[in-house]
Amino acid sequence: MSQRYFEDVNVNDELDPVEKMPTADMSIDFFGRNNPMNPAFADAEHSKRLGMSGALVPGMLKIAWMTQYVNDWAGPDSKLESIRVAYRRPDIADKPLVLSGRVVDKREEDGKKVVELEVATLAEGEPTVRGNVQVVLPSRG
Amino acid sequence: MSEEEKSLLTDEVRALIGKVTDAVTVTVKEEDARRMRDVIGDTDPRWAEGTGIAPPYAIAAFGGRPSRNMPFIMPSGLLTQQEWKFSRPFRVGEQLQSTTQVSDIRERLGGRYGHSVLVTTSTDYHDAEGNHVASALSTLTQFDPKRAQGKAE
Repeated sequence: MSQRYFEDVNVNDELDPVEKMPTADMSIDFFGRNNPMNPAFADAEHSKRLGMSGALVPGMLKIAWMTQYVNDWAGPDSKLESIRVAYRRPDIADKPLVLSGRVVDKREEDGKKVVELEVATLAEGEPTVRGNVQVVLPSRG
Repeated sequence: MSEEEKSLLTDEVRALIGKVTDAVTVTVKEEDARRMRDVIGDTDPRWAEGTGIAPPYAIAAFGGRPSRNMPFIMPSGLLTQQEWKFSRPFRVGEQLQSTTQVSDIRERLGGRYGHSVLVTTSTDYHDAEGNHVASALSTLTQFDPKRAQGKAE
């Protein structure tokens, strides 16, 4: 994990895409096997009865991956301040998801060097979650 | 709005907006942090084993699932928006006080869900000194599956 500095970031910089393969087991383990969760995350048949093609991928798992994605990009001396996402389409377990991102703004705010990114999860090239992340980066100065 | 599509936002429902729940204590647990890191495949050194820090997404383990404290006006609901804000990292073992409020309830006619109700709740987490640590905001779109067009999502 390398450090990214505020001065080195430009608006429209794109993050390298990262592929994730969600599974129903991941969903169950993310919440904990003994904790309550939506049965549609764990049981493909239950999900199919709701009209889906398989077990659903929890939004919480996707927002967690998006958080990790930006933290990995920003480096260990960054601070993720906020992430806001809109869930646009369901994601189905065992189908790959691609995380993508782009810098949309950089500014100094209350003495902090803030970088704003748009991030998304893509399934078969179509966005399923769109998000906006604000992260504070260190300065080279 | 036809008789059939009469507003579901009664005075009783509107009165829920702004009501804050009693504080609930949540604990930042190492086992949750470890399990979630493993599932995510996160090797970030800031919250690696032994650092005493939990990853930001540990907030998902605080029992703060979107449906918690959320009024159900329609028979089904889907999480459609979510936001996490962080003032500082979570410390493993610390106890936080969480309070939740319904911050908004809106109604929508048409679209893929038909007649739907959007309920937004926000939960704030404070430490023992009363300092803000994090917030989680969720919007659940509630709808009747029988009336949703082409199935919800």
